[in-house]
Amino acid sequence: MTGPPKARESGLTSCLCCHQLVRMPQGEESCRCPRCGARVHTRQVGSLTLTWAFVITGAFLLVPANILPVMTVIYLGAGEPSTIVSGVMQLYDTGLWGIALIVFVASIAVPVMKLVGLVLLLVQIQFRLPLIPLQAMQLYRVVSAIGRWSLLDLFMISILVALVDMGAIAEVAAGPGSTAFATVVVVTMLAARFFDPRLIWDAYDARRGRKGAVEGAVRNG
Amino acid sequence: MQKKPGPWRRACHQCDLLLERAVAPLGQKLVCPRCNATLHRNGAHSIRYTAALSLTGLLLFIPSATLPLLHFSIFTFGAENTLFNGVQSLFGAGYIWLSSLVLFCSVLAPLGKFTLLAFISWGCGWEALDRPVANAVRWYHHLRDWAMLDVYMLGILVALVKMSDLGKMVVEPGLYCFAAMMLVSNLTTLSFDPHAVWARMARRRDRPPAGEAAGDGP
Repeated sequence: MTGPPKARESGLTSCLCCHQLVRMPQGEESCRCPRCGARVHTRQVGSLTLTWAFVITGAFLLVPANILPVMTVIYLGAGEPSTIVSGVMQLYDTGLWGIALIVFVASIAVPVMKLVGLVLLLVQIQFRLPLIPLQAMQLYRVVSAIGRWSLLDLFMISILVALVDMGAIAEVAAGPGSTAFATVVVVTMLAARFFDPRLIWDAYDARRGRKGAVEGAVRNG
Repeated sequence: MQKKPGPWRRACHQCDLLLERAVAPLGQKLVCPRCNATLHRNGAHSIRYTAALSLTGLLLFIPSATLPLLHFSIFTFGAENTLFNGVQSLFGAGYIWLSSLVLFCSVLAPLGKFTLLAFISWGCGWEALDRPVANAVRWYHHLRDWAMLDVYMLGILVALVKMSDLGKMVVEPGLYCFAAMMLVSNLTTLSFDPHAVWARMARRRDRPPAGEAAGDGP
């Protein structure tokens, strides 16, 4: 095997928690890190399956999260439930396009981008498609960094529910869509967490190794 | 080849590349040559800064959790918002899952983060605490992603702007404490370097036990 030295080939694994290099017991795939006590796996167990499961759950939950109302603002007895999209539209119509953009990015663009990004990574690895590892790593890092910002809308709802609570004059109530949306955020964060980026490099090396082997065989034969 | 890996050998946690003699110079960070992952950020005085900052964060937590953050009024009717009463009203309205998520991400996780870091940075001077400190580092690693003070801050700002045409919005002192706590929280995350803790433990283990028994603090 040529190419850069990989820890797995020398029976070593980096502990994901404290980055200690751990020697795997012969023939085993996991052990305890002697330094911090975390479980160390050569590769995260069932990484692809779990990520697929969370991504699919998230994609399904995105439907109720966007169809059902997340919040109702009642002002002087009038007001109707608003969904995530109509909330953004309302902000835009009142001329607050900066805030509208922030909310749009946080609660519509980010969850969709996360799901699309993870599906891209999963498909590339699962079906051994050609991939550019550095690009894939960039995508993985963006996907795992942006996820938390989706909770913006839910924090805002929890603030407004307490703040605007004046009975008949003005009131803000949460809607069932917010529960679905909260679950989408948690599920996509878990999906990004369970995805093991080392699989990207395994797929890349396997592909390159196979191509190299074929070329070698052609040259020899 | 078969010898036990020394402390200078490490593998990139994102691409599994084996690295020899990889140590970041003080004040700089070590980047994986293959995948550009940040392997180690070696800040100066990491443990001291973390000790000071996490205590500051814990102290700031008290006013930001008890004082109101915002005050909103229409005509003579007004209401205040603290870190807890939003969660309370959501819980009262039956949104149990949503309210516990908000509570966890905006109160429990940041509080846990500060407590763990304070424990780690003050406790790593004592040999008797090695095992609990190692566990604390592990818990911190899992908790880190769920503390979302900065997102909550942005949520406050969005709420502030969104409701300002409906009534009168006043910023209360709690919000300043909260903003300071958010800043301190981000600084703490940046300054904390678990490798400094591991290195300190390793140094103590190598030293003969008859040396100094008590820790010298952070």
